[in-house]
Amino acid sequence: MKADNYNLRSKQTGSGWFRLLAILSLLCASFIVNAQERTVSGTVSDGETDETLPGVTVLVKGTSRGTITDMDGNYKIGVADGDILTFSFVGYETKDVTVGSQSVVNVGLRLSIEQLAEIVVVGYGEQEKGDVTGVVAEVKSDDFNKGAIVSPDNLIAGKVAGVQITPNSGEPGGQVSVRIRGGTSLTASSEPLYVIDGVPIDNSAHNPGGFSGGRNPLNFLNPNEIENITVLKDASAAAIYGARGANGVIIITTKRGKAGQEGKVTYDGYFSVAELANRIDMLNAEQFSSVIIAKHAENIDQMGTGNTDWYDEITRTAIGQNHSLSFTGGTETAGFRFSAGFQDLEGVVQNSETQKTSLGFNYNQSLLDDQLKINANIKSSFIKDQYDAGAIGGAIAFDPTQNIYDAGSRWGGYFEYAEDLAPDNPVSSADQVQDFGEYVRNIGKIDITYDMPFVDGLSATLSGGYDINLGERKRFLPSTLRSQSSDSGEVRIENIKRINPMVTFLLNYKKELPSINSSLNVTGGYEFQQFTSEYPSYRAYGLSTDVYGFYSGNIAEYSETYNSYESSRIISFFGRANYRFMDRYLLTLTVRRDGSSRFGPDNRWGVFPSAALGWRLLDESFMSSLKTVFSDLKVRVGYGITGSQEIGNYRYLATYTSSFPTAQYPFGDEYITTLRPNGYDQGIKWEQTASLNVGVDFGILKGRLSGSIEYYEKNTSDLLFEVSVPAGTNMTNRIITNIGEMQNRGIELALNSYIIDNNDLSWNVGFNISHNQNQIKVLDGNSDENFEGYLTGGISGGTGNNIQILSVGNQVNSFYVYRAITDENGNPLPDGVDHNGDGEINLADIYKDTNGDETVNSEDREIYGSPAPKFIMGLTSQTSYKGFDLSFTLRGNIGNKVYNNIASNNGFYNAMDGSGNWLQNVHASVLETNYVTPQYFSDYYVEDASFVRMDNITLGYNVPGLQKTNIRVYGTVQNAFVLTEYSGLDPEVGNGIDNNPYPKARTYVLGLSLGF
Amino acid sequence: MKKIFNILSVAAIVSLAACTELDVPPKSIASGDVIFEDASTYESFLAKIYAGFALTGQQGPAGSGDISGIDEGASSYIRQYWQLQELPTDEAVIGWADGNLPDLNTMSWNDDNEFITAMYYRVFYNISLTNEFIRESSDANLDSRGFTDAEKEIIRQYRAEARFVRAMSYWHGLDLFGNIPFYTEEDAIGSDAPEQATPAEVFAYIESELIDIENELFDAATVPYGRASKAAVWALQAKLYLNAAVYTGTDRNTDCITACNKIINDGTFSLWPTYSENFGADNNISNEIIFAALFDGQNTRTYGGTTYLVSAAVGGTMDPTAYGIAGGWGGLRATSALVNLFPDETGSLDQRAIFYTSGQTKEITDIAEFTNGYAVPKFTNVTSTGARGSHENFPDTDFAFFRLADIYLMYAEAVVRGGSGGDVTTALGYVNQIRQRAYGTNAGDITAAQLTLDFILDERGRELYWEGHRRTDLIRFGEYSAAGVWPWKGGVQAGTTTSAHYDLYPLPSSELIANPKLKQNDQY
Repeated sequence: MKADNYNLRSKQTGSGWFRLLAILSLLCASFIVNAQERTVSGTVSDGETDETLPGVTVLVKGTSRGTITDMDGNYKIGVADGDILTFSFVGYETKDVTVGSQSVVNVGLRLSIEQLAEIVVVGYGEQEKGDVTGVVAEVKSDDFNKGAIVSPDNLIAGKVAGVQITPNSGEPGGQVSVRIRGGTSLTASSEPLYVIDGVPIDNSAHNPGGFSGGRNPLNFLNPNEIENITVLKDASAAAIYGARGANGVIIITTKRGKAGQEGKVTYDGYFSVAELANRIDMLNAEQFSSVIIAKHAENIDQMGTGNTDWYDEITRTAIGQNHSLSFTGGTETAGFRFSAGFQDLEGVVQNSETQKTSLGFNYNQSLLDDQLKINANIKSSFIKDQYDAGAIGGAIAFDPTQNIYDAGSRWGGYFEYAEDLAPDNPVSSADQVQDFGEYVRNIGKIDITYDMPFVDGLSATLSGGYDINLGERKRFLPSTLRSQSSDSGEVRIENIKRINPMVTFLLNYKKELPSINSSLNVTGGYEFQQFTSEYPSYRAYGLSTDVYGFYSGNIAEYSETYNSYESSRIISFFGRANYRFMDRYLLTLTVRRDGSSRFGPDNRWGVFPSAALGWRLLDESFMSSLKTVFSDLKVRVGYGITGSQEIGNYRYLATYTSSFPTAQYPFGDEYITTLRPNGYDQGIKWEQTASLNVGVDFGILKGRLSGSIEYYEKNTSDLLFEVSVPAGTNMTNRIITNIGEMQNRGIELALNSYIIDNNDLSWNVGFNISHNQNQIKVLDGNSDENFEGYLTGGISGGTGNNIQILSVGNQVNSFYVYRAITDENGNPLPDGVDHNGDGEINLADIYKDTNGDETVNSEDREIYGSPAPKFIMGLTSQTSYKGFDLSFTLRGNIGNKVYNNIASNNGFYNAMDGSGNWLQNVHASVLETNYVTPQYFSDYYVEDASFVRMDNITLGYNVPGLQKTNIRVYGTVQNAFVLTEYSGLDPEVGNGIDNNPYPKARTYVLGLSLGF
Repeated sequence: MKKIFNILSVAAIVSLAACTELDVPPKSIASGDVIFEDASTYESFLAKIYAGFALTGQQGPAGSGDISGIDEGASSYIRQYWQLQELPTDEAVIGWADGNLPDLNTMSWNDDNEFITAMYYRVFYNISLTNEFIRESSDANLDSRGFTDAEKEIIRQYRAEARFVRAMSYWHGLDLFGNIPFYTEEDAIGSDAPEQATPAEVFAYIESELIDIENELFDAATVPYGRASKAAVWALQAKLYLNAAVYTGTDRNTDCITACNKIINDGTFSLWPTYSENFGADNNISNEIIFAALFDGQNTRTYGGTTYLVSAAVGGTMDPTAYGIAGGWGGLRATSALVNLFPDETGSLDQRAIFYTSGQTKEITDIAEFTNGYAVPKFTNVTSTGARGSHENFPDTDFAFFRLADIYLMYAEAVVRGGSGGDVTTALGYVNQIRQRAYGTNAGDITAAQLTLDFILDERGRELYWEGHRRTDLIRFGEYSAAGVWPWKGGVQAGTTTSAHYDLYPLPSSELIANPKLKQNDQY
């Protein structure tokens, strides 16, 4: 490239890329041409009280030159004539002053009303933050978690008090479980309702054949496109979502263009490298063979000659990349935003990956002198997933002395055991299984708002929206897989089609009534939403050759087809009134009446009301003396009723289910498809949660420290639970019916502080901690004191074994275990030894007789903790110094327990010789326990899994001195470290049962953001 | 434009407000008001009732289970019936540490036992299915739904077969639990919880039902395989009457002989020449089997039934492919008491002794260890020609509830117990037919003097072991709980007697909570 050519182009304005290059090349020069001509000085004070303000940032606009005021509010700075000085300070409005010829510039700053008038999103509208009476927590995009993040729920992990976000797997884009103030359900879902740009979405991973589901349903949304995420935590805030609000609501608002905005292009891109964060503690080949020699001498000849680290073989260093591009702009009356994204992240397990191509479009237009506003959003994504082959179980169990390959093997050249229950060679599975998902998801909504003539303050909004999800999951298992030795190859394809249209109609009336010192904001609405899903699928097996791969349907000996269809509808009428009296007394009333097709005619309609009061204490005259301490003080009380209807469809109806082809019954030579009447509960209805919230919002030190304290109590009644019905009264033995009661109580504290805020250095810290106490109050109405409860929490190991219990008076899913007798070192006593010398070897030798009945049997199992943490905490720190910024998120749980199922299912000597002619690796815990037979129910395996995790830490550099351009480079480490006593792979396990998890990664990200 | 807009918005509001329809009917599952209009529904429903013995849900082998609260595979009717009839006896132990399963080996269960609970609900599941079928196929319903006379005729026969299945399940409920809730098609879904009946009342009901339906069923010679014929009714009558003294305190041996005679004189059944082929993948060819639950590797799959019986019995050094399966589950073995019933353990004298001894000890010191106790590969997925069944995980092998050898032995026992309508000579002939098949010669024949009750109990063990009869037999002979000793009975290796209350299983604790009208069996 010729130099003159370059110069020519660099003069063009608006041509972003070249402008950028020009600026980069001029960076050095800018340090030299920093001409100063003279000095101005002055004092900065509060414009109202004349109190001087220390620490105010004074900046020469458009430069990086600046200073801060001293203890007495004085400053001094070098300027040129015509420069503009910008004065900024937390809690005050920023002020620009043009320097004329004077040498003293004294400035009075006004308290920022915006600070109080900050707008937050609430259901079906927005509200000034100061007027909010419910518990609404907003996380803005600046505060989101950083790193290679696929699904939006991960963006706010650790950011909001009382919101527990647990990644259930280390898989890229894997499922995340979200609990807002504890779960409110046992049988139905406890996940919150998600509302994306006004569209309540169907977030269930519903997959009838257990196959089509895909990963996290929120993956389709590009995190770069999100403006903010708002969490509605209490009933006062969530009751406007009625029958779907009991588990809280997460409102995601995406970025949009604004009228009058200059054209702006942003790019954000990163590359990431992920490595295994931890390993499972299985024996290596050397340890394995020494244990075999010591404990299973008769099996020595079954050992192989190799030395294979199976876990290593199926895991890898995974790379990823992400590119997001957006273009925002506007005319006088319209704004638009267009965005495109591409994300490709490999998983640390071989052959797992997620790839997302996303497009987004927003357009808003105002017409008829702003009387008519139209806003349209479309978000569309194409996701390609590759699923790991389920090789992790094999990698844990496979004999480390075996080689990967066996030249003579009929199973694709991989070493395998010819036994059904033996583990499969994990490398063979990882190499040969092909398992893909492809999904297109499209969410759109158009809102038309019309300010009604004749009635001042009345507006109407009509919205139409949809959520469409189309996809296909396909898996090919070649006949050379060991698991296919009987079926000789299988191809399975399942389509997913979900179409959910909706219509909303809103009327809003806003009126200031100065004569009675009041202000009123009333919203009324109607909403219709339908959910339809269909899953046609087929499975073909018995393949004469593997060469056709996914297209083997034609040559398959057997094939089976299925189709499943479900539909539901929800129709709602709702209203909300916000009333403000004398600018300090706030009242919010909401009511929603929901009708749902999931319930029988007698129970279809439910009413969900709420009321909340707020009192801005600081505005009272008797509080004026405290104004020097507090900048904000508000007390709130709210009470309301919300519901949960996530019970599946048609449960109130007598229905009949046909059998699959593999469950036919022969009549003579003919196989008959059977027809089964299903159990049902005609009277089934919503779960209902009544909740009370008391909270205080405060700000002190002129807003430098602000926060809130909340106390809440949620009582869920009509809890859906599967209870036994008397034989003969229904078509099955257990029916899901509304019978239980449960309570969650807790406190939350959230703090936000600007510790340092001046020109060169700023540091702010956000901290939150919350405590939730869950208790089951009623399960089945049974008053029998001897009835411990219902076992739940299925584990790997044996058949039908459960480690948890639902028991009245205790936490949901409490662990239910034998208490092991320990030796002087704290290790449990080994089994198979007559420790108590009674001549018999039984449970009493190794477990405590907790009920004192002289024998040890299942009645001696005890409740021992639960997977729910006692405290959850988050700490966010953001520091910037000149162009550098450093931020991190620390997150922790205290008091959560995890059952180490990998240890319990693999940590005993008998596991090594299987039940047939193969050997199997054991968990290293066996060297401590010396268990010979499985002790699934020993408390030894229930561990304290409290932890503190450095979720992400980011160091960034903003290239300074650029006028309209910003350039930022950054590096992030995700999951940098975890401090925990838990012995397993990772202490965060959704249901508390740690069993063959997809391992978590530590991810290094290097990124670049541009905007111009 | 404003005006147009105003009009449009009013129109939109009106049309939206009309949209309040909340009836959203299902499509891929059927609602009851639609499905019974179709005649083919009744055949599918009847198939489900028969499948109640064999399958566990609508997907096969697992998925969409019929009953809940237990692993679906373990919820299998036959799997649990077999476990409750065999594990507490001298014939079998199981090594798995699944929940409260070990308590079945040692006769030390309580009313929280999930396996007993599963059996209980399976019994009443079948009864409820049948009641529903009878209600839907009532003559009034059939008339109103406009079926042809031919269709009605077929559906009426289905109804009689369904009543047979219900009678079978009531018999199992009576035998296992004694004092059970009783309800019929008169008690619709959603009505009050049923009352508890006495064993005598249930006995009388089963008896009358069987008499009622006998003539409506197929002849044994023409019945499609798998469905209940007149001979199935007679076989159930024979069982009911032979055990009548246990249920009601009154002997009915003469009625037992009458029922046995009907089967034997029908002429359809004969002893299949090779004993072991009654338990192989193509045992449907055996014309010794009177009524069976059917399984198929391709079309009728379960983790219970014979999948369980074949797989759970294979482990240790056994080669699973020799039994037609891909892998054993390593659970079931025999106690030495069963082995000792045979003249030798190799089967060279009495071919019915099917034991796998290599690498196994005869005595059991650790029940959890598969190699303790001989393995019993009696049920296999191998056909009479030595081929594997149609699938290596799901055997084709059917499970015979009743076969002719059992009828012969019941005849003999009823005669020895003093029933009339038969004679010792005939009885001896039947018993020796069985023994000739077992020995391949007359070497095993017995004399009339040897045909004692003790001999018959042992011979039932030799002929019918692991077929789900043992507990009932031992109770009838008074050898089950308070008398009779075998390894690990009562939880000690040498064996010890136990309390007589174990003759009946407890009603599940969950059922007592749900239905307060029920009274628990004594001492539970």
